Amino acid sequence: MSKLLIDVGSTYFKVCQTSGISQYFRDFKKDIYDDLVTKCGNIFANYQKEDIFICSSANGGLSTLIIGLTNSFSLKFAKNIAFNSGINIIDTILYSKIEESRAPSELVDVVIIVGGIDGIGGVFDEKLFDYLKNVQYSNIVYVGTKQDVSFLSAHIPELKVLGNIITEKLHVNGGELKEYLTNLYQADIVGKEDIKHLYEITANQIYSTPYIVNRSLPLIDANFEVVNPFIVVDIGGATTDIHYSRDLVRDNIVSESGYDRLVFKKLGVFKSRETLIFAAKNNEFVYELLAYLNVTENILEEESEKSLRILMQLSIFLVLYKVSRLHPLYVTLHLELLNTIVLTGGITKVLSYEEVEMIIEFFYKKVMNLHAIPNIVMDSDYAIWTLGMENNENSAS
Amino acid sequence: MKVVTGVVGNDIHVVANRLIDISLQARGFEVFNLGVNTSLEEFIDAVVETDADILLISSLNGEAEGWCRDLQFLRSEYNLKEVIFVIGGNLAVGEAAQSDIVPKYKSYGFDLVFHQIDLNTGLDEIERFVKERV
Repeated sequence: MSKLLIDVGSTYFKVCQTSGISQYFRDFKKDIYDDLVTKCGNIFANYQKEDIFICSSANGGLSTLIIGLTNSFSLKFAKNIAFNSGINIIDTILYSKIEESRAPSELVDVVIIVGGIDGIGGVFDEKLFDYLKNVQYSNIVYVGTKQDVSFLSAHIPELKVLGNIITEKLHVNGGELKEYLTNLYQADIVGKEDIKHLYEITANQIYSTPYIVNRSLPLIDANFEVVNPFIVVDIGGATTDIHYSRDLVRDNIVSESGYDRLVFKKLGVFKSRETLIFAAKNNEFVYELLAYLNVTENILEEESEKSLRILMQLSIFLVLYKVSRLHPLYVTLHLELLNTIVLTGGITKVLSYEEVEMIIEFFYKKVMNLHAIPNIVMDSDYAIWTLGMENNENSAS
Repeated sequence: MKVVTGVVGNDIHVVANRLIDISLQARGFEVFNLGVNTSLEEFIDAVVETDADILLISSLNGEAEGWCRDLQFLRSEYNLKEVIFVIGGNLAVGEAAQSDIVPKYKSYGFDLVFHQIDLNTGLDEIERFVKERV
């Protein structure tokens, strides 16, 4: 009996049968299970639960929606705390514009409400409740003025109240919120409800997509035109993963695997769009890069095909930058030794080879001071993922 | 009464800023001092977060003209009709007559404008304005 392989991404489902790979754009109004069954239910009918293998990158980190009173204080402080807790900010809502703001269509892990120093009351009103009626969330936390606590608690069931993150001197006080978000994140690792539900389809363990991709790495150079050392960059809607040969790291860590991976939960072009733009705007090369791409920073605020392409190009640059010697916070890879860059994930469906090449040339010229660039391989039919799933399944059986 | 104050734009006249802070406190105001190098949006946002009664912007290098033109727009964004908007200091680059400067800043949305006027005189004027409004 043949196997059925499914990858649940933040933007697409990918389904692999012997006959080939098909992909389905996700309906964010539905939960993952319902959406998958609606789209692929007839396929599942042909397979036993034991022959269906699922991996997911849709459970990569927590998502948050922040509702704040002003850009300069409430939203700025809450965003800063969320970033530092490793949370994906999917949107921020300025309270004065809440009536015109659209609620996110997907399930939000935690909604953060903030506004006003202690001592002032009546900051929030019915507008907030009307908006929240349209938001699907798992947790909701209030970190604004004390005076509104009883009013909000009376109207929002399950509201978690923590100390105000804005001090009486308009400074940030993030301790309690940071601890709360960090604890939520830990709880999330245990498993999201959305993903747990998928065990109705499969009798096998559900793995994370980065794990599966990592499993395929030892086999990549035999199956693709890839020369070691190489990196695999998987840029998706919510997260970006980079898998790299350990030959690129000069440290004294002894590892069983020849490959390691880094996950950038904040970098994605769809679900984590805002955090990607935030990271881009704070990069020292970004304006030069935008000029090189012949666009202005206004493109980052647009919702268009071109804007998506630019964001994807930016994300390639940012990932390389974050592992380069210019960015000591992450692992430093010796990119001058790199022979091949393999791109996989949603990015290969949007960008052309030339667009990828353009951005890698810019990176190597500006950051590495090199004119030669590594070989580029575009895995546009998810062959790496299929390879990893098959390898995982064979070693399990 | 709550007052948000600070120096607008690329202006680092910190001594003047400190003097304004101390003088306001001595007169019984609750002061939120944003310090130097403050943007207009930050001032407005501080007024919103603190529910302040007065916004007192100071400027000494004449840059305020370029930084305060959007006041009407930002003021309407948050419906801040009750807040008193004040600006003072040296409000022009080079020489400029009161008769030119005051109407210009009032057209930007300021209720009180003090160009090259002594600090205490300006603060007296603010207190008088507040009493009249009440």
